[in-house]
Amino acid sequence: MKLVIADKSIEFDHDGFMLDPSLWSDEVALVIAKEDGIEEMSEEHWKVVRFIRHYWLEHDMAPAVRLVCQELGVGVRQLYKLFTLGPARGACRVAGLSKPDGCV
Amino acid sequence: MSERESERNFQKMLQVLRDHQSVHFEACVRCGLCGKSCHVYLSDPSVENLPVTKAQKVVGLQRKKSEEVDEKFLLSLQESVYGRCTGCGRCNLNCSIGLNIASIIRVGRTILSALGRTPEKLLRPLKNQLEYGNQMMVSADEMRETATWIASDLRLESGQESFDIPIDKEGARILYLVNPREIKFAPLSLMAAAGVFGAAKESWTLASRFFDVTNFGFIAGDDESMKQVAEAVFSEGKRLGVREVILSECGHGARVFKWDSGVASPLPTKSIIELLDLYIEQGRVRLDKKKNAARVTLHDPCNLVRWSGVSEAQRRVLREACADFKEMIPNRAQNYCCGGGGGMQLLQECSEVRLRSAEIKANQIRSSGAKVVATPCHTCIDQLTELNKKYQLKVEISTVTELVYNALLY
Ligand code: SF4
Ligand code: SF4
Repeated sequence: MKLVIADKSIEFDHDGFMLDPSLWSDEVALVIAKEDGIEEMSEEHWKVVRFIRHYWLEHDMAPAVRLVCQELGVGVRQLYKLFTLGPARGACRVAGLSKPDGCV
Repeated sequence: MSERESERNFQKMLQVLRDHQSVHFEACVRCGLCGKSCHVYLSDPSVENLPVTKAQKVVGLQRKKSEEVDEKFLLSLQESVYGRCTGCGRCNLNCSIGLNIASIIRVGRTILSALGRTPEKLLRPLKNQLEYGNQMMVSADEMRETATWIASDLRLESGQESFDIPIDKEGARILYLVNPREIKFAPLSLMAAAGVFGAAKESWTLASRFFDVTNFGFIAGDDESMKQVAEAVFSEGKRLGVREVILSECGHGARVFKWDSGVASPLPTKSIIELLDLYIEQGRVRLDKKKNAARVTLHDPCNLVRWSGVSEAQRRVLREACADFKEMIPNRAQNYCCGGGGGMQLLQECSEVRLRSAEIKANQIRSSGAKVVATPCHTCIDQLTELNKKYQLKVEISTVTELVYNALLY
């Protein structure tokens, strides 16, 4: 699937993850979030997304959910309320990561 | 490919066919009845999607000449056994002469694996299992820290000071295997299991080395690796001196570790579903079904139910844990595949087939009128979550253990 977001053509794989994660921007995050039923990205949403993005840029892999929750002081149930599709299919996708390997 | 190399490959393929006694498929009477059982065929009734066609492509090899088995053929074999079949086994039930069609199709995967042609997306998790002990490369430290964190959340939530998530506890009665995603991404099901074990006063432990309930050797048709993974896991059970291995909710995991890994399991091995059933029967946990008031239906994972015969336990459990349990139709061994099994969930190139062929499943869910779909398999959960979005089902998807945990009385 291809979308034009903020004048850039962005391609997604069949699971809706970005094919070229380097093209990610806040605008892209908003579009993906909306698709998952997040009408408005709150401060808390952004905190999670930025943490995951930052970690991924540094380590080239998605952070464990424990790190996200502990570093940001968010409970795991709260995280599922923010991203109903969960940390991997929800939050990581909004943060513009490519799909993690394995059963996610 | 040189001529010698292709001849060698061809001989390898024939050997795999012989090793698996695939020749019994020659008995097929070409009645075509198997098509009516297959969700892939039903969603697109083309001849390539007939179970018999897929199986025939595999056994037909023995009538070929080596030069006919070229790149084009191998690609079409790959497409057939990975892209048109989830290995759900529903076709077997309804074959007019009782052939094991699905296993023949899986032999196609074994053949491709022998030629080093397993799809990369399945090979990586398998390599991780062999090398790191789990498909997601979760380290022992990460596991410990996650267990500590989830256990403290669990104590807070349940108010039960004694609840814990032990790791490498020697002499525990059971070893609990988890899907690594329950550590890395989705720990609520682990928390629920720990809550139920706590309530039942179970003596249990996780293992820090080989703790993975999945087995990508099975998915890839790579029987040697499947055995290795299973042996590593069972050796953890022996190291810790446990008396039983309990498997977290996983369809193929139950199939592999209960009976299909190629190694005889040295310890009794059960799905957590069977244990929950026992806890309820023995009164070791008390449940208030009013806590799960919304209507719940159940999706039967093919590998757990059709292939491994764990069929009634999950129903007994849900009837005790939920106020309004309603079967989807058909169910039990006749249930349709969710569409995401056999590795399809991981293969991007299959996503169109995967979502299209699951329309039957979406309709089953819709007609049940349920607000919650319970299913004892994380792969089914992922697929159902996608169906929820695509077919706008407006349901919640849950593991069985989470519903039981939610209904616990302390
Ligand atoms: S195993 Fe399932 S998907 Fe494969 S051919 Fe048989 S019915 Fe179809
Ligand atoms: S139902 Fe059995 S006998 Fe009939 S075509 Fe299918 S595999 Fe062959």
